[in-house]
Amino acid sequence: MLAPISVNLASLNFMTLSPMLIAIAGALGILIIDLIKKDLDKTLYVILTVLILFIDLGATLGLSLNDRGFFNLIVVDGVTILSEILILLASMLFVPLALTSKRFHEYSYPEYFALFLFMVAGFQFMVASDNLIMIFVGLETASLALYTLIALHNTAGSHEAAIKYFTMGALAAGFFVMGSAAIYAVTGSVELYDIARVLQERMDETGLMVTILGGAMMLIVAIGFKVSLFPFHTWTPDVYEGASSPTAGYMSIVPKVAMMVVAIRVLGMYIDLGIDTVRNVVIAMAVITMTLSNMMALVQDDVKRMLAYSSISHAGFVMAAIALDTTKANSSIFLYYTLFLFTNLGAFTLLWISRHKDKTHHVRYHHPYVKFSGMIHVEPVAAVIMAIFMLSLTGVPPFSLFWGKLYVISATVDAGYIWLAVILGLNSAVAAYYYLKLIVYMFLMPATDKTRTVYNNRSLALEIVIGIAVFATVTSIFYVQPLMRFVTALISASGY
Amino acid sequence: MNDILSVLIFFPLIAGILGLVVKEGSIRTYGISVAAVEFLLSLWMWFQFDPTDGGMQLVKRISVVPDFGISYYIGVDGISLFIVIMATLMTLIGIIALSVKEDIKNMILTLLFLEVAMVGVFVSLDAVIFYLFWEFSLVPMLYIIGAWGGEKRLYAAVKFFLYTFAGSLVMLVGMLYVAYAYHRMTGIWSFALTDWYTMLLPLSEQKWLFWAFFLGFAIKVPMFPFHTWLPYAHGQAPTVGSVILAAVLLKMGTYGFVRFSLPMFPDASVMYIIPVAILSLIMIVYTAMVAYAQKDMKQVVAYSSISHMGVIMLGIFAMNAEGISGSVFFMLSHGIVSGALFLLVGVIYDRRHTKMISDFGGLASVMPNYALIFGVMLMASVGLPLTMGFVGEYLSLAGFFKISPAMTAIGGTSIILGAVYMLSLYKRSFFGPVTHAANKTLTDLDAKELTALVPLVAIVIWLGVYPRPILGPIDTSVKALTVLMHEKAKTPEAKATIILSKSTKEAQ
Repeated sequence: MLAPISVNLASLNFMTLSPMLIAIAGALGILIIDLIKKDLDKTLYVILTVLILFIDLGATLGLSLNDRGFFNLIVVDGVTILSEILILLASMLFVPLALTSKRFHEYSYPEYFALFLFMVAGFQFMVASDNLIMIFVGLETASLALYTLIALHNTAGSHEAAIKYFTMGALAAGFFVMGSAAIYAVTGSVELYDIARVLQERMDETGLMVTILGGAMMLIVAIGFKVSLFPFHTWTPDVYEGASSPTAGYMSIVPKVAMMVVAIRVLGMYIDLGIDTVRNVVIAMAVITMTLSNMMALVQDDVKRMLAYSSISHAGFVMAAIALDTTKANSSIFLYYTLFLFTNLGAFTLLWISRHKDKTHHVRYHHPYVKFSGMIHVEPVAAVIMAIFMLSLTGVPPFSLFWGKLYVISATVDAGYIWLAVILGLNSAVAAYYYLKLIVYMFLMPATDKTRTVYNNRSLALEIVIGIAVFATVTSIFYVQPLMRFVTALISASGY
Repeated sequence: MNDILSVLIFFPLIAGILGLVVKEGSIRTYGISVAAVEFLLSLWMWFQFDPTDGGMQLVKRISVVPDFGISYYIGVDGISLFIVIMATLMTLIGIIALSVKEDIKNMILTLLFLEVAMVGVFVSLDAVIFYLFWEFSLVPMLYIIGAWGGEKRLYAAVKFFLYTFAGSLVMLVGMLYVAYAYHRMTGIWSFALTDWYTMLLPLSEQKWLFWAFFLGFAIKVPMFPFHTWLPYAHGQAPTVGSVILAAVLLKMGTYGFVRFSLPMFPDASVMYIIPVAILSLIMIVYTAMVAYAQKDMKQVVAYSSISHMGVIMLGIFAMNAEGISGSVFFMLSHGIVSGALFLLVGVIYDRRHTKMISDFGGLASVMPNYALIFGVMLMASVGLPLTMGFVGEYLSLAGFFKISPAMTAIGGTSIILGAVYMLSLYKRSFFGPVTHAANKTLTDLDAKELTALVPLVAIVIWLGVYPRPILGPIDTSVKALTVLMHEKAKTPEAKATIILSKSTKEAQ
């Protein structure tokens, strides 16, 4: 007979769970409001969601560093706090994008916002745990909600995108579970700190390396799918093309950040143990990913697909830093993604503003390059803003992403990987071509009759979001220092 | 005004932003006023400059990212002082002579932003700030070539951007490594050049760092075989774009060698004198020949410009005070002379909408003033004594004579070949009978064009006859540079090659 388990409530340390609980409670609250009173306007739900995220952010900032709780499943370290802040910032910028001047199907459902909050909670679970099962549960909660959000856009393309993403996501989930199982078989644990301890002891046993590496490779595959690393990146452009622009922009940041946190925890463990194969595989994947996706981005006709490939290449760029596994490299990941968040979300928002119900310029694409030709003559401010985002993505100083690139390349140089730093640099040069292409269309091509009607979906909320993004992109030189200090302090406090 | 350098950097920036308010019709006057004020400010900087001091002056240092050692760190010495003044002068001249009609407001504001970047590059003493201005200068130039250029302007603009961008990213890796090396030795992060100068890098690191920086600078110069973007850029750029590009932007590359490569990697620089010299010689002779074969006036000037940049490179890698001072002086004279030549080609292009040499002939009888000024500039370009071009070219070659007389002899053909292609251009376009009816009615230079060109003629002759006021401060700073290099050099070859001139030794 099993002995009854007695749990001391204080030892659960519910405070560590508070950010996720707030998001979940908020989502339930939205559903209840919908149950009581129908026909409420989307503006109510948008603002409620932003407020809930705001409280969530407050709870996250209130977490005490290096704490554990909830049966040891939840770990609050620097990485957790940083990634949760990133996730919440991105979400708070994302939700107001629902306040468009044109009506879009998905925002008329309150469920959309509830699902969104569930997804945020899922990502928060994912980054706040070093238990493989818990990570998996968070991943699936978030992913299932995200599939639905994509499909709710309700065009033929979005259904295709959702199904594609679902299929690939399911495959990735399978690999994640199999990898975890392999690890469990060797170590008898799903807790990373436990796993590291047992692996350390058993590493030298003959014949065991195959299983250890096999488990690691399956986890790399799962991470590769979610972060969209070569050769598991193929779904990305199609899914971005089908999803609405804000969702695509959101997907280029938040799910990737969450999965990168998992990568920092899991792959970092292998690299710390001195298993160089894992490091080499990750570096190889990172290099191939950014090079290949840069090549692919060159030949795209659609700006959104170009941005999709560009976000793959940025992910590859950052994965190189993950493979280094130094404090500076890990800090640079968060610096990079904080800066990338504003720029990239801003660029996708500008696409969102230019969204028409019908495809006005191309049979297949919503945002072909031609659509933006001669924009400087018609919408000079918008053209300049888009150009700033593109230059920032290229890494032209003084715009924000330059500092991110500078710091990542510097971390690579410090770690002794000069050849990798050169490849990172040259890839940025290749990438310059396709970002310039949009600038060339906007500034150097003659305007067409149709250019005048491009910004059809404009609204105050969207303009505010773009304003925040531009501000963050242009003034980065003034806040890089405090941001860097904050990030480095949190990362080094947790020993990464 | 101790912060004159900051004012110099930020005045055009603020003027450019506020200029958005100014109406299209008045923007030209606005542009000229701002550029003139900026030029006067740069003269004020010269006034404040102490010519007897070879070190950095008017220095300002404000920490921007202290944790990573990045600071807003600016200052001038004799090497950069006159390049800054030339940049502000050529911007002013370019705006005065501006003949663009459409979107003139965008053009003028873009030129002002470009001026920010140009001044910034030459006064930055922090590698990251230098890089920031260096990269940022690409954007306005991309727009100028791409929006107001000729038929293949998009190709030319993008090629210009990508070439330079790719090279400078490799240079960025080099810079980050130097910063890392500095951190390794001292425990402090710093991108300040004056800190980097104090560091002795092992030869093995100097070797690859030299080439990393070389790639960034050489593409900008442009050294053979990275020069292919330049004829396109010049061929397609509007007149003012070519003027700024030839006068100032190319100098960023050669300036980079003087400011970064030589003092930081003295051993590697001495070690690679011969390969660099061979590239420079190919550049001098080959592009001079190509210039002779051109049918387009502007391309002749463009290729001659590359050829002369080769002489500047030779002078820099002479590793002695004569050579380096000469090449810095040559940077200035080349800036003014080639800028003036591009302006002159632009004058005729505005009238006839062609740049083909075969479309002209006998211009001297129709446009005497034009022919006279063109003639003076052409002589300066060839390097005739008593013009500004002679001083720099002579000193650069004289400096390199100490390294290798044979190579100097080949480099000296630049003067002969220059005379060949320039005089043949002049003969075919200006002398003989007027062969095309359209040329008979051409009007001579108007007031606007004269305002732009006459000061340049005056400078070319003044500094050709009496270069002392400019050569003096340059020489003082260059001597300080050679002393630094001599002290830092570790290999015996480097010690022997970096010769200190007599007066420098006595001073020590």
